[in-house]
Amino acid sequence: MNYFAGLDIGSTAIKVALVGEDGKIVGVHVSSSGSLFHKNAKEALQNLLTKLGVDKDDVRYLIATGYGRKLFKEADDSISEITANAIGAFEAGKAFGGVRTIINIGGQDSKAIQIDDTGNVSNFAMNDKCAAGTGRFLDVAARTLDIDLEELGDYHFNGKGAPLTINSTCTVFAESEIIGLLANGHGKEEIIAGIHYSIAKRTVRLAKRVGIEDRVYFDGGPALNKGLVAAIQDELGRELVVPEYPQTTTAFGAAMLARSEFMAEQGLEKA
Amino acid sequence: MNSPNAKTVALPYNRSRQAREAETMLDHLTDDFDDNPAAMAYFYDLFRRAYCKGESLEREGVRVGTTCIHAPEELIYAMGATPVRLCNGSYHYDQVGADFMPAKSCSLVKATLGMLSSENVIPKVGKLDLIVNPTTCDQKKKASAMMAGMGHQVYDLELPPAKESEQARVYWQRSVREFAQQLRSLTGKKLTRKNLMAAMARTGRAQAAFRTLHNFRRKSPSVVLGKDVFLITNAYFFDDIERWTEAVEKLNAELVQRDKDGFCAAQKKAPRILFTGSPPIFPNLKLPLLVEQSGGVVVADETCSANRMLYDMTAVDEWLVNDMVDSLADKYLKPCTCPIFTNNDDRIRRLLELAKSFAVDGVVYQAFAGCQVYEMEQRSVAEALNKEGIAMLYIETDYSPDDMGQLTTRIEAFLESLKSRKRKRA
Repeated sequence: MNYFAGLDIGSTAIKVALVGEDGKIVGVHVSSSGSLFHKNAKEALQNLLTKLGVDKDDVRYLIATGYGRKLFKEADDSISEITANAIGAFEAGKAFGGVRTIINIGGQDSKAIQIDDTGNVSNFAMNDKCAAGTGRFLDVAARTLDIDLEELGDYHFNGKGAPLTINSTCTVFAESEIIGLLANGHGKEEIIAGIHYSIAKRTVRLAKRVGIEDRVYFDGGPALNKGLVAAIQDELGRELVVPEYPQTTTAFGAAMLARSEFMAEQGLEKA
Repeated sequence: MNSPNAKTVALPYNRSRQAREAETMLDHLTDDFDDNPAAMAYFYDLFRRAYCKGESLEREGVRVGTTCIHAPEELIYAMGATPVRLCNGSYHYDQVGADFMPAKSCSLVKATLGMLSSENVIPKVGKLDLIVNPTTCDQKKKASAMMAGMGHQVYDLELPPAKESEQARVYWQRSVREFAQQLRSLTGKKLTRKNLMAAMARTGRAQAAFRTLHNFRRKSPSVVLGKDVFLITNAYFFDDIERWTEAVEKLNAELVQRDKDGFCAAQKKAPRILFTGSPPIFPNLKLPLLVEQSGGVVVADETCSANRMLYDMTAVDEWLVNDMVDSLADKYLKPCTCPIFTNNDDRIRRLLELAKSFAVDGVVYQAFAGCQVYEMEQRSVAEALNKEGIAMLYIETDYSPDDMGQLTTRIEAFLESLKSRKRKRA
């Protein structure tokens, strides 16, 4: 049996996806990046293979992507996470009737990507070097509010009042703004909803810059946060397509590319 | 009273922050690429001496610093003086210069001020007798008083805000005549037909060498990389013009041979990039370097540190020296595509023309954060290019290296999308 792997070494998490010859996902794995990117990436890959009982030699082609892609020299090839994300969302989006716009929020950046009807990137935009509106922002906010990251979504829907306005676009300043709001006696629920709307506003602005077409696919770790999904849908004025495993779309895209690269090489050999 | 043991600690220049910054960039420019042309050694060495070692390149006679390509260098040469372009690309000086300007200002202006305020002016061309500061963008206009405050002799060369009207032309011609007068009182020399013709011949030969180099880049695959061309045009800022011209001519001769031998500087499928916007100035060659490290090749540019500075040649056939000065003034105003002008359709025309004649796959548009005019023109340029089916990547950045990782991702994704576009078309 032949397998193809995509390894997405992100700023916060390492994502691995394994697909079979038929292009179906065999398994995915998410673990923390830590500071030893290369070591942790190797471990993440091995963990998934062990879990699935797949032999390392059966992985015929591996493509690395994400911030740490250049560090993983064992890969057959590397590709930017924007292209990998586009491929992953295009393939995963087929089940939803096809997508043309992708919103991705990662650990330290957010992107909007427009793809054409064959899955090629036709336009993209990315936040300019700043953690505002990224996963890191949620991380800091959760810590400031002394709750778990996973709880943010629940808090979002339980507010009694309207979401508060968070004006600061900088993660550091937003933290002091949040503390200020807490000191003024505002509830965590309203503050959290406010944070989600503040991220949503920035993200939607980014998406409008590339142009919103057809169905909008939302992925990356923060897509697990239902509150944030709701806020983006509100700002966007339309529903989002959120996949079952939003964190691994990019790794999946890299795996699908690995698969087609392998097929193309095989085809050449046979011809 | 000073104690007899008190000493100032002289740090070796080559360990300073700006020297190491320059060294890192030069190492990338030379070591990250195979088969650099042999004739490039002159330029690599020049920058190593000037920027990494801090060697003196002291020029004799009257030295005139310029802060923009609008200062007519032919006039400066004609009066026996030497022009030195001061626009600076160092992150170190950018940080030093931050004291003078509001927080969100252009790195280039901040770095230039930072350099001029330091004792350790690099490259070491010697004390400047005059700085001519064309009144272009707001930041450069206001930089004038600050340079004067540092003790420099500054002359504001007044530039009109538009370039197409007749009154703008007349206004500018008068400004240039005034400047010639200023130079006369500075140097004590008279401007004559003879010395102006000689000056134009000198810059003309340099520009001819540049044009030849520029035309090599039409070839596909390219025989020369953009990172080298930017370094060469950067050297024009401060190098002796004859030495510079000879070095470029030597490179051109080598490129002829390389072309005959079928040598390629980049892969056949490497996306061909047209570079525009805020000028790459050594050591801030960050963006063109990233493009070429990521497998693209910069085949043409529309920036004031390269093509816009050297492409348009002077051909004056007037008989009287005053008329010559007027036509020289025209040359500096009319073809210029700087975004400071009210109406700048010429820039779009130039970009479309370059994109076509250099078989460009995509455009990379650099705007320094705080350089409002380039930031503002981004939209109309993107629209015009997209209408012609040319993709553009807009990047807002500054001199700091901290966004390199993110920029690499964006540039690689852009190049990947250009490649897949090409495949689709084929």
